[in-house]
Amino acid sequence: MGTATLEVPVTQKTATSARRIKVEIRRQASPDAKATTETFEIPYRPNMNITSLLGEIALNPVDVSGRETTPVTYDSNCLEEICGSCAMLIDGKAMMACSALVDRLLGDKPDKTITLAPLSKFPVVRDLAVDRSVLFENLKAVKAWVPIDGSYDLGAGPRQQPQIQEQRYPLSNCISCTICMEVCPQFNDATGFVGAATIAQAKLFNMDPAGSVLKEERLRALAGDGGIQECGFAQNCVQACPKQLPLTEAISDMGRDVFVQQVKDFFTR
Amino acid sequence: MAASAPPAPPSTTRRRGVQPLRAAEGHSYLWRRLHSLSGIVPIGAFLIEHILSNFETWNGPVAYGKQVLFLNSLPLVRILEWVFIFIPLAFHAGYGVYIWLRGRSNVNVYPWAGNWGYYAQRITGLIAFAYIIQHVWRQRFTGVDLPHNPGMAFHKVQVELHNPWMLAIYVIAMIATCWHFAYGIWLFAAKWGITPGDRARKRFGYICAVVGTGLCIMGLASIYAVVWKYPNAPVNALPDQHSSLTLPASTSLATS
Ligand code: SF4
Ligand code: FES
Repeated sequence: MGTATLEVPVTQKTATSARRIKVEIRRQASPDAKATTETFEIPYRPNMNITSLLGEIALNPVDVSGRETTPVTYDSNCLEEICGSCAMLIDGKAMMACSALVDRLLGDKPDKTITLAPLSKFPVVRDLAVDRSVLFENLKAVKAWVPIDGSYDLGAGPRQQPQIQEQRYPLSNCISCTICMEVCPQFNDATGFVGAATIAQAKLFNMDPAGSVLKEERLRALAGDGGIQECGFAQNCVQACPKQLPLTEAISDMGRDVFVQQVKDFFTR
Repeated sequence: MAASAPPAPPSTTRRRGVQPLRAAEGHSYLWRRLHSLSGIVPIGAFLIEHILSNFETWNGPVAYGKQVLFLNSLPLVRILEWVFIFIPLAFHAGYGVYIWLRGRSNVNVYPWAGNWGYYAQRITGLIAFAYIIQHVWRQRFTGVDLPHNPGMAFHKVQVELHNPWMLAIYVIAMIATCWHFAYGIWLFAAKWGITPGDRARKRFGYICAVVGTGLCIMGLASIYAVVWKYPNAPVNALPDQHSSLTLPASTSLATS
């Protein structure tokens, strides 16, 4: 990755031949350490994304003043926006690092500094890596699974009609990135709101012919404190979701189902 | 590439960050849904009644006085006033402030239409709350007692709006309240699963906009009628109405 092999595109109008990308990263050595900011300059290559940019820093962890530092910690795995691990604040907004393209972030301002920071609503583990296990806890709380375990062979599952499949498929695209929670004004310490992803997954499994056996339990769970009622319908989730889940539709549908379940329970339980 | 340290092992202390769902626990569901419902009935229904009644000012002080008289002659009007107006309003406003305090608006970072709507719903709610406190205090509980003197309603409001600051407050509050109500119906339909589909929500949005704009125009027209259309209204437009006829005494729907 020497500079000699760098090909500079003709569209570039910088005076020096080796154009560099400025990036400012919020860092934190441990969950309780003080947060600091470090600035780096990375040789430009076309079609970079934020994970490849962080990879460059890892190859040569020296900040802009020439001071040696540690490679930046961040979560990533698939590098193709499917594992959901690399969410972070890029230029202040929650995005997936692997699908955030540097060229697009810079737009027509090649000298702009890109800023990276950890998601703001999850405890920092180190640097850009945060602990998002609250989503896992929430998915468990609504039993977001199909119960298929038994002490004997349960046989084939019920048939799933293609119409149901079609409605479920977009919801099954969730990658548990937690961006919908990060951008939600109601997802915070005060409300303990469950967030859009969990509500959408509850709908997904309620619509599964085998998973629907737990439907009532899921609907009751979602009426607990921090449940679906905390939604303020700001609709940021559906705007920000990298996988374009129909989150507002899911929340609306589940809002009705949860209400009907509460009324039923009131009169029959 | 860059691996991260595994999340801290679960400790016995309260976990950091946002707490997970308290599945099927607590009563916030009931309160939050009551808040949502109370905004439509009875408060929204009362708002419509109030603006329609006020629109009688368009027909002059006598017509308005008669409307106030009619409302005050409803059976059990004092009970109606407390059960369907004051108590639900106090709850809706109080719980609304609680909701506002627990939200973390981020429209500066994510300036999207729905996020603006979320923010505006809180701002307009606060404006309406502050306005209604002074409005109820000054028009219903202090000054001329309108339930006893319905004919004096027009003049009382006219005197109030004579102050240009008060006039500005009334205009701003009228717009804020109609916005809050119209967007509130839209939110109600979305949250209760009446309009789950994107297109349904959009379509219903237009309907809410028409309702809100219509109410707002009627409200502003009433203000216009009081201030400019019938200047120098008589102090009492219904001089023949003795207070003894306006039973039951001392409450008024139209002025609260
Ligand atoms: S619903 Fe969308 S934004 Fe939320 S966790 Fe799933 S993929 Fe991410
Ligand atoms: S690395 Fe898997 S989603 Fe970005």
